[in-house]
Amino acid sequence: MSDNDEAPIGGHSRRAVLKTGGFAATLVATGGVLGTAVGEGAGAAPPAPATEVTLDVNGRTHRLTVETRVTLLETVRERLGLTGTKKGCDRGECGACTVLVDGRRVKSCLTLAVMEDGREITTVEGLARGEELHPVQEAFIRRDAFQCGFCTPGQIMSAVACIDEGHTGSDDEIREWMSGNLCRCSCYPNIVDAVRDAARERA
Amino acid sequence: MSRIVGRPVPRVEGHAKVTGAAEFTADVHVPGALHGVMVLSTVARGRITRLETRQAERSAGVAAVMTHRNMPRLTVPEPHLLVKRFLPLQDTEIHHSGQPVALVLAETLEQAQHAATLVRVSYDTQPVRTVFEDAMDDAWIPPPEEEPGETPVPNELTRGDPEGALARADLRVDVTYTTPIHHHNPIEPSATTAVWRGRKVTVYDASQGVTAAQESIAQALDLPVGHVRVISRYLGGGFGCKTPWPHTVLTAAAAREVDRPVKLVLSRSDSYSLHGHRSQAHQRLRLGARRDGTLTAIDHVTTQQVSRTEDEFLPSASVPTRRLYACDNLSLAQRAVRLDLPTPAWMRSPEVMPAHGLECALDELAYAADMDPIELRLRNHTATDPETGEPFPSKHLKECYRRGATAFGWSERNPRPGSMRDGRIRIGWGMATAAHSAGGMPGAAARVTLSTEGTAQVQVATQDIGTGTYTVMSQMAAHVLGLPLDDVDFVLGDTNLPYASLSASSATVPAVGSAVNRTCTKARQKLIGLAVADPRSPLHDLPADGITAEEGTLYQTSRPERRDSIRAVLTRHGRPLDVATEAPEESGEQYSTGAVFAEVRVDPLLGQVRVTRMLGAFDPGRVLNRRTIRSQVIGGFIWAVGFTLTEHTLLDTRYGRFVNRNLSGYLIPVNADIPDIQALFIDQPDPTSQALGARGFGETPMCGMTAAIANAVHHATGRRIRDLPLTQDKLIASAS
Repeated sequence: MSDNDEAPIGGHSRRAVLKTGGFAATLVATGGVLGTAVGEGAGAAPPAPATEVTLDVNGRTHRLTVETRVTLLETVRERLGLTGTKKGCDRGECGACTVLVDGRRVKSCLTLAVMEDGREITTVEGLARGEELHPVQEAFIRRDAFQCGFCTPGQIMSAVACIDEGHTGSDDEIREWMSGNLCRCSCYPNIVDAVRDAARERA
Repeated sequence: MSRIVGRPVPRVEGHAKVTGAAEFTADVHVPGALHGVMVLSTVARGRITRLETRQAERSAGVAAVMTHRNMPRLTVPEPHLLVKRFLPLQDTEIHHSGQPVALVLAETLEQAQHAATLVRVSYDTQPVRTVFEDAMDDAWIPPPEEEPGETPVPNELTRGDPEGALARADLRVDVTYTTPIHHHNPIEPSATTAVWRGRKVTVYDASQGVTAAQESIAQALDLPVGHVRVISRYLGGGFGCKTPWPHTVLTAAAAREVDRPVKLVLSRSDSYSLHGHRSQAHQRLRLGARRDGTLTAIDHVTTQQVSRTEDEFLPSASVPTRRLYACDNLSLAQRAVRLDLPTPAWMRSPEVMPAHGLECALDELAYAADMDPIELRLRNHTATDPETGEPFPSKHLKECYRRGATAFGWSERNPRPGSMRDGRIRIGWGMATAAHSAGGMPGAAARVTLSTEGTAQVQVATQDIGTGTYTVMSQMAAHVLGLPLDDVDFVLGDTNLPYASLSASSATVPAVGSAVNRTCTKARQKLIGLAVADPRSPLHDLPADGITAEEGTLYQTSRPERRDSIRAVLTRHGRPLDVATEAPEESGEQYSTGAVFAEVRVDPLLGQVRVTRMLGAFDPGRVLNRRTIRSQVIGGFIWAVGFTLTEHTLLDTRYGRFVNRNLSGYLIPVNADIPDIQALFIDQPDPTSQALGARGFGETPMCGMTAAIANAVHHATGRRIRDLPLTQDKLIASAS
């Protein structure tokens, strides 16, 4: 996959989609028949605005033309092929899409790629140094801090930031600061063990 | 045999999962795939009168809008494959809110999402019945469900004379427990990508049953089974919602119509009406007992919601009432009510609903009898299976009570409700028996190939749903073959591999574990046969039954220095050794039990409940891997916290529509909700297990823990709230 491989594509901006979606939902809630007033003639709408962005992802610079409505999550997964970052809810509730932006943890489904122009992004694929795993990755394996593994990339990115932030003073503090990442297999106690281990290793 | 089984080895796929390399269904890159987005019905019952797709079709990037008008006619797969009894996009009928009415296919996801908002639908609606309580008067007892490979279980059962025994009982408990709708919410949404080549299709599907998905697609599209390949190498949880549901079949059909690969990933919101839920349920329990706590009668009537489109599907069976305690007089009815809601599904630990009622009612009986709840359960313990009258082959439940109670410090408990306090905070301790049936599903086949390098590949078309299938099956294979763990590669999640059924009903160990043991045993015998027949082997001419295989070596059991390496035997053989075994019709049915304990802290002013300790002692047969089995306990306990305290799907009864279709309104536990958890295991092999003494276990820990938490809340507050979840509003209301 090249770094600049797609022309701008027609359609609506994400904001417009959210707006129409919201409007439709209001109508739906009345239980009535949906009218045709919403988005009438939208098929002939101008193409979705697109812009050029530069993203530094895992130490590699990518110059991309992206529609402004496209999230950072879709960009890393669909355009850069970095599918380690997962989509669990697409609305910032589950944390499976957590990445680091300039070292800060960010839910990439709630962030548009254009908002991160020029920033440094780290995804789960960027943690290991060659064959050598990051201490958080090692600790997750050792402590069995995952089962199905789907939320794991987000948990690990969150854990890396949690340790950097210094939010690992006690198990309760770890629990609190790791609560933005849901795990339905429910490995929470093992995740706390892994984060505590990795934090100690760093100290 | 080497001692690999039982060792807490880290998950063999751990590296792939922590680096992002593990490829889940939605991660599979298929060039040229169209992205699908569903448009769902906004009414619960009626008919589509107008469906306007033109604007959506003209929208940028849209390849097609599939509706009942342009989808091919499909056959509804058999009920044992697809519990939902109709396929959407086939006609104008609407059976529930959130039923697909269109599938938009576009070049990018954003284009499809936008175009989906342009589809206009009008309906001719019919009155709906959506309120569970309103339908109770029409509850009926369905005939037993017939499934191939499974023993039909009646929905109505009477033993002895329960009514007479109740009338004569010294002590009686008559209570009603209610539980709400729950949704599975695996963090991985269901996803399907279908790729056709000629008349054959490859389907990447987030599936907890690749062979069931394969058969469903073949039946629906009228294809030979061999023309459908389903792949699911990594599965992001399932919990019962990733058995076949219509979206998988529809994706395959749509891809054939548009002659392009199609990728459909369900949105979180869509997932609430597209692959089932745990039914809302009502249960009335009447217990009769002698003054010493001996149960003389149980009458248990459960009622659960079904839809109007299926007949004989009751996911929550009252197994604990039938099998867990000795009681001569018992009546049991499993009833259903039809509502205009989606079809329900199995959901993690289906027996938890009746188990919750029974284990809470027993706590109520313990108070009525002024007895310790453990003492009450010991009094009613049964060493024989009340279903069959046969002794349980291996049941260490009494030991579980003893070890659990000691580790928890149960003897320190003051039984009087509200007596344990920390300032204004009330502390409560509760316990219950944990039990769930396991297996009873179709058996599995397996193939083992030993290479000339001395490594083994073991193949089964099963899934790793997160329970640790890759790891424990690799351990079992290495153990039986006598190879180091690193020399075994366990391959799963592909219908090209030997048959296995669903990853469900705690059946993977009894079904797949047995197949791995059986097939690897046969391969080891063949391997030893090669060695003793080979004049170049130091083991030449020795009796085969006097040879041990361990850590890559074959040696004479009585003289270990006489040995040959497995690699050398195979290298001299010059070609791979291939052994396969067929699937038996059924894997054995098992019953795994334990004792579970919870501590809660309740703030009476806020009605807030915090679980501060959870502990369980279990009898799962032999422990295959202490690390992965502990994770099953943790998972089950945390599900119990959700079931008891936070989770419920809310319904807008006017439209039969689930309201909190997301993870901010539907509250699954988060890290901060969960305390330390202790898990103890008796670790005694079950002599009847074909899987090296291990039993199916994954669904046991959740059962019991829900009641232990609720019983602890009663112990803390003196309030017995019989309607789940135990939310703050109910606790505050009960206190005033």
